[in-house]
Amino acid sequence: MKNYYVKRILSAIVTLFIIATMTFFMMKLMPGGPFARERPISAELLEVLEEKYNLNDPIFVQYYKYMIGIVQLDFGNSYKELGVDVTEQIFLKFPISLRLGLYATILVILIGLPIGIISALKQNTWVDHAAMLVATVGVTIPSFVMAVVYISLVAGTLGWVDAFGLDKWTSYIGPVIALSTYSLSFTSRLTRSSMLEVLRQDYMRTARANGLSKFKVLYKHALKNALIPVVTYLGPMFAAIITGSFVVEQVFAIGGIGRYYVDSVSNRDYTMIMGITMFYAAIYIFMVLLVDVAYSWIDPRIRLGKNSGE
Amino acid sequence: MVSKMRDFKFVDSSKEMDKEQIRESLTYWKDVWRRLKGNVVAVIGLIGVILVILFGVVGPMLSPYYFSDQITDFAYLTPTLDVFQITNVDDGDSENYFVHLNNDYRLLLISEDGHVLERLIYTGRDRANFIYFYDYEGEEIAVDYSKRTDDEYTGDIDYTITFRGEETLYPTKTVWNKTFLLGSDHLGRDILCRLMYGARISLTVAFVAATVNLLIGVAYGSISGFKGGTIDNLMMRIVDIINSIPLVIYVILLMVLLDKSNMWTIIIALGSVYWVGMARLVRGQILSLKDLEFVLAARTLGVSQGKIITKHLIPNAIGPILVSLTMMIPTAIFTEAFLSFIGIGMSAPAASWGTMANEAISLLEKYPYQLMLPSLAIGITVLSFNFLGDGLRSALDPRLRKG
Repeated sequence: MKNYYVKRILSAIVTLFIIATMTFFMMKLMPGGPFARERPISAELLEVLEEKYNLNDPIFVQYYKYMIGIVQLDFGNSYKELGVDVTEQIFLKFPISLRLGLYATILVILIGLPIGIISALKQNTWVDHAAMLVATVGVTIPSFVMAVVYISLVAGTLGWVDAFGLDKWTSYIGPVIALSTYSLSFTSRLTRSSMLEVLRQDYMRTARANGLSKFKVLYKHALKNALIPVVTYLGPMFAAIITGSFVVEQVFAIGGIGRYYVDSVSNRDYTMIMGITMFYAAIYIFMVLLVDVAYSWIDPRIRLGKNSGE
Repeated sequence: MVSKMRDFKFVDSSKEMDKEQIRESLTYWKDVWRRLKGNVVAVIGLIGVILVILFGVVGPMLSPYYFSDQITDFAYLTPTLDVFQITNVDDGDSENYFVHLNNDYRLLLISEDGHVLERLIYTGRDRANFIYFYDYEGEEIAVDYSKRTDDEYTGDIDYTITFRGEETLYPTKTVWNKTFLLGSDHLGRDILCRLMYGARISLTVAFVAATVNLLIGVAYGSISGFKGGTIDNLMMRIVDIINSIPLVIYVILLMVLLDKSNMWTIIIALGSVYWVGMARLVRGQILSLKDLEFVLAARTLGVSQGKIITKHLIPNAIGPILVSLTMMIPTAIFTEAFLSFIGIGMSAPAASWGTMANEAISLLEKYPYQLMLPSLAIGITVLSFNFLGDGLRSALDPRLRKG
């Protein structure tokens, strides 16, 4: 039991370490170097800059310093914006993306789950067919198309709400819808199929045969088991929503971390790209870890299976 | 109950009756095809895929334009044009001509059937009365914006056109734009033509990336699954690590690293990352197959390991591989559009759907269709491939097989 958790945490740390190493060396492979501009800068200035960013050190010393920095949550300074600290920027911009991601996740849970459950209970009725058709379309529509449709319909043609920025609560509607469409549709499909799977089980018939009320059968027996795969999906989904907000932030002109990441990529701001990538990876790995732990707690078979296998 | 002879009939003995009805044998693929045909959604998907392919492959050949052709005089034209008649055959003119004022205050000469003929030159304006003048073969056309502040007409009329002293209050008619069927963009490029070239880019990226993924993924997964043990462990650890951050971030990093924005860098970036899903899938399939009797038989007969993998294991795993391949294509299309949209994919003047959407977003308020069209194209394509993939999945699933 404890071994399993320790092992999972260790492997997460190792993975992060490898990703940090990979991003570091990838950035070093970058052609042109960080200070390549349209107009070449003078040799003296270049020397000063390289001195400032420790670029004169041998590569392994740079690597060592970078890794020490990461451990202390210090991703260094931006190459392109003078005096801007990467870590500071991340913590400044991240809460905006986090808030959007949280709202989107709540929407998924509040709408996606019930749709899936209702579809499964009303299998092969028009309710089911309609819900699944919408869900299939929702899974395939890219988020920026969704955002665009929203802006041109609701904000543009109808003129109901402001489409850009995050000044009022109504301006959250669009980004949250665009951000959650895919996950919402996917969750409802997943919930439906997992629910159908459970409803077919023998213990469901046994429960009914024992005279349990419909409500009890549904909530105590069906739902609990059906939600296991859904819960495991929600973790990575939350991470994916938070780390996948580039487009939505771009379209709706929101100053979150996703938009900042894209800007850094266009500006070739290497330290910023590295920092945000590491940050994204950490979130993602942490969420997967969390789900693994939760999974072993919800479904004892996993935990026991892992242990007996060793 | 006594049976009588007349209750029975003699069988015509000259006809030879077959005990078994001979039917054409149903091969695996015929069976799959039969079940795919029965699935309405999958057929819709298949038709959609074929149409998109035709659109991208044949379409550009039929278009009179090239994707980078610019006719700057004809920029910002909508698919339908509100036109005002200026010359009339009945009044002794040689031709019926119309004018159209677009949202950028350009006055264009339009023919009867909707061809855009030329941009009329702006000659000056009467600032006090909000009247703008344009030149048509030496004669003056006045566009009068004063009516929109006139109480009598408020909200009803935006502008009026005056030609040869005759004022036209309302558009004579609305015609389809024959020169640019789906309108033109901010540089006067034909949107339909760019959509077709966009389909070409999307499909090329998708098919090449999917093939690369197929080759790497199948090779990697089958070796890992077949060898097992330490090699398998090591190979799967690598896959786990790649899989542990969102793949889009790798693609973005690779795009930065490759430092050029064209179709091939996108394909390289996609191909070098997205194979992990395929590798996992193939490994799982190989693992479940490799201990079966037919593999043992092949081994006993002394078939080499490579042959066992290519001739015995992979053909048996072809169903899931095919489904995963079909699903890979919309992912690749979407990722390309996404990268181009956020500005690190295809760069101008390439006509990627993502680039088109990106260029149109600043024009959203005036020309929403410029954004809707590429978005719609992406949506339809991705949806078609997904429908087809879903259908294939159920057609290939032996558990759903009837009879």
